Amino acid sequence: MNKKQLKFAIGSVMIVAAIGYLVVTGISKTSVYYLTVGELLSKGDSVYGEGVRVEGKVVGGSIKKDPTALKVDFRITDGNKDIAIHYEGIIPDLFENGRDVVVEGKYTREGVFKAHTLLTSCPSKYESAGKDHPTNQFTVGS
Amino acid sequence: MNEIGELCILLSLGISIYSAIVPILGVKRGRDEYVASAENSLFVTAGLITISSAILTYAFLNRDFSIEYVANYSNRDLPLFYTVSAFWAGQKGSLLFWSLLLSLFAAVVVIQNKNKNRDFMPYVISIISITQCLFLLLMTFAARPFELIYPPEDGSGLNPMLQNPGMVFHPPTLYMGYVGFTIPYAFAMASLLTGHLGDVWIKTTRRWTIFSWFFLGMGNLFGAWWAYRVLGWGGYWAWDPVENASFMPWLTGTAYLHSVMIQERRDMLKVWNMVLIVLTFSLTIFGTFLTRSGVIQSVHSFGQGPVGYYFLAFLIIVIVFSSYLIVSRLSILKSNNELDSIISRESSFLFNNLILVGAAFATFWGTMFPLISEAIKGEKVTVGPPFFNQVNIPIGLALLLLVGICPLIAWKKASISNFKRNFLIPFIVSIIGGIALMPVGTGHLLAWLSFTISIFVITTIVMEVYKGARARMETTGEWFVKALVTLIRKNKRRYGGYIIHIGVVLMYIGITGTSYNVEKEATLNKGEAMTIGDYKLVYRGLDLKEPVPTKAEVIATMDVEKGGKNIVTALPRKDFYKTSEQPISRVYNISGLKEDLYIILAGFPIPFQKDSPATFKVHVNPLVKWLWIGGLVIGVGTFIAMLPDWKGKR
Repeated sequence: MNKKQLKFAIGSVMIVAAIGYLVVTGISKTSVYYLTVGELLSKGDSVYGEGVRVEGKVVGGSIKKDPTALKVDFRITDGNKDIAIHYEGIIPDLFENGRDVVVEGKYTREGVFKAHTLLTSCPSKYESAGKDHPTNQFTVGS
Repeated sequence: MNEIGELCILLSLGISIYSAIVPILGVKRGRDEYVASAENSLFVTAGLITISSAILTYAFLNRDFSIEYVANYSNRDLPLFYTVSAFWAGQKGSLLFWSLLLSLFAAVVVIQNKNKNRDFMPYVISIISITQCLFLLLMTFAARPFELIYPPEDGSGLNPMLQNPGMVFHPPTLYMGYVGFTIPYAFAMASLLTGHLGDVWIKTTRRWTIFSWFFLGMGNLFGAWWAYRVLGWGGYWAWDPVENASFMPWLTGTAYLHSVMIQERRDMLKVWNMVLIVLTFSLTIFGTFLTRSGVIQSVHSFGQGPVGYYFLAFLIIVIVFSSYLIVSRLSILKSNNELDSIISRESSFLFNNLILVGAAFATFWGTMFPLISEAIKGEKVTVGPPFFNQVNIPIGLALLLLVGICPLIAWKKASISNFKRNFLIPFIVSIIGGIALMPVGTGHLLAWLSFTISIFVITTIVMEVYKGARARMETTGEWFVKALVTLIRKNKRRYGGYIIHIGVVLMYIGITGTSYNVEKEATLNKGEAMTIGDYKLVYRGLDLKEPVPTKAEVIATMDVEKGGKNIVTALPRKDFYKTSEQPISRVYNISGLKEDLYIILAGFPIPFQKDSPATFKVHVNPLVKWLWIGGLVIGVGTFIAMLPDWKGKR
């Protein structure tokens, strides 16, 4: 390898190293555990106060919405165990009983998961929205 | 009718298998008529798929709910516009649409190459036909668009969220990009197979590459625009796996678009260009696999099923086949030149390439991290938008700087005088701009950097264009505008490129505005007001309307004041559809060049009352509009770069 090519090799390695550094530090700073309800509960003490992402199904009839619509309490389950969730923020339109959701936040010693993010799986163009549900009447004004 | 549609797909499958095999036999036996026959059969396939697509469209318009796909994605009340677009609203129709595009593109390729690239064509035809077989196989076995059901009274309708112009244009533009990259890939492979490794394949597919790159980018942008207008969370890009899936091939496609220029000009980077086109084509397939298989959790619930695995199998074949070809030709893919200086056009392009591919890799790593961590550590660990932002913002800024430097730095070795001539003034201008922007920069270092570099890039481009026009005026005596137009017309590719770069900078400015986003939530009683930024919003009550029997709208009235003056009455609302349980929030967005005022009606007590309090979420999103304007400018630039050189052929 001649001198010129060496310079390029060094330049390229520096770019690759810089990107590698960004990826590695990015992962270590921002990664969070992605758990099911059961996995969260089996983690024991170590999980309190740590940011985690939990997936589960909203337990039927567990939703208690605050009238201002910016707070909601509900429970999610993995089919086996369930936990209480307290979420503050805009409630997604698609949020309802029985829907698969992902929450992000912290589990507290009081046994309540304080969520700052609530994601609902949204029916996308690849799945028909009305397919699984019977046709509903308007819920407004009733 | 559906039988004819299905039959067309079956026939096409048979013909595509024929056109995949026969041209190769033609080469082996030295029989040109085999190749000609395969070429003709591509026209037949195009015709058959067009008939099939026409039948599906007719079934939609005719409300033929005996076809499962039609029953699932439309109903009697669906407006005409969305009835037509329902064609690609679901997986089966998307596959048919994809197949249609590929068959039409293939026909165009055959016409374009009637009298040239005869050595490549057998392989090109074969590779395109094999790709076509994938879609036809899927439609024959895994996802039949013409599958019948017992016809229901009415269809289930199109998801109201998809009844938006953004979602009408997002899939077709994206697919045009995805499918389009098949053509440069096929020519690249043909060049490897024949061993004719000059830059003929690159020159031949130059317009296809720009075309595909443009539509892939526009597909992403339409998706972002749709998300911003419809999803109502105040943003347009969430680094969700499905978004990343179509962003990655765009990144490598951008790298490819640039690195081929080095091969054309300096006969270098041959292996790299091969790797990039294989990577880009593979990523389009990978993206499809990712979004259709459900291997990665996404907030979009894409259909899970066998379809994704067909794509995975195809992806593995593509990677193994292409890698084998590249490796076996390594000895003749040697560069005929070497890099002279680290400060040169060539090396700046190389660095731009490394950075683009690096960004694609970082995005890939972040997207796949849940799978990777589960495989290695046995625990599912995920990364979200903070990761992608943290990694891609510095990468993006380095790239932006290169947008300013690459086009103007000298080939081979840049001298000090080259630097002074092209960069001294932009450098000074951007320093002055940077100082002037100090007030907005405090606490937003990266945003400030982005604006400052944007000033640098815009100045380099404006200066370059101005200098070119001046030089023409002096030699030809033309006046400025005429000189400018002639200049662009004589160098469409170069000036189209500059215009695209200006569009890119505008998009950066729009994206950078995100740093200054403000949001606020409030529950207001009738007559109460909230303030955000320079705005005062007074809540005037709710209203209930039923514009059509299937839909009810709850509309909030808000008077928006700015500087004590009433500027507009905002009407954010929630729609309730008969066919869907969920309400849909309709954002009221007041968009300006400086900022967007984005208002969401978040909630109100049920049962509905006109005077009840309501909760709002309001965002002030500065500069968003420049993102969309940037997209338009890129469109103009792409159009100019793709115009044929009719002047040269006189």
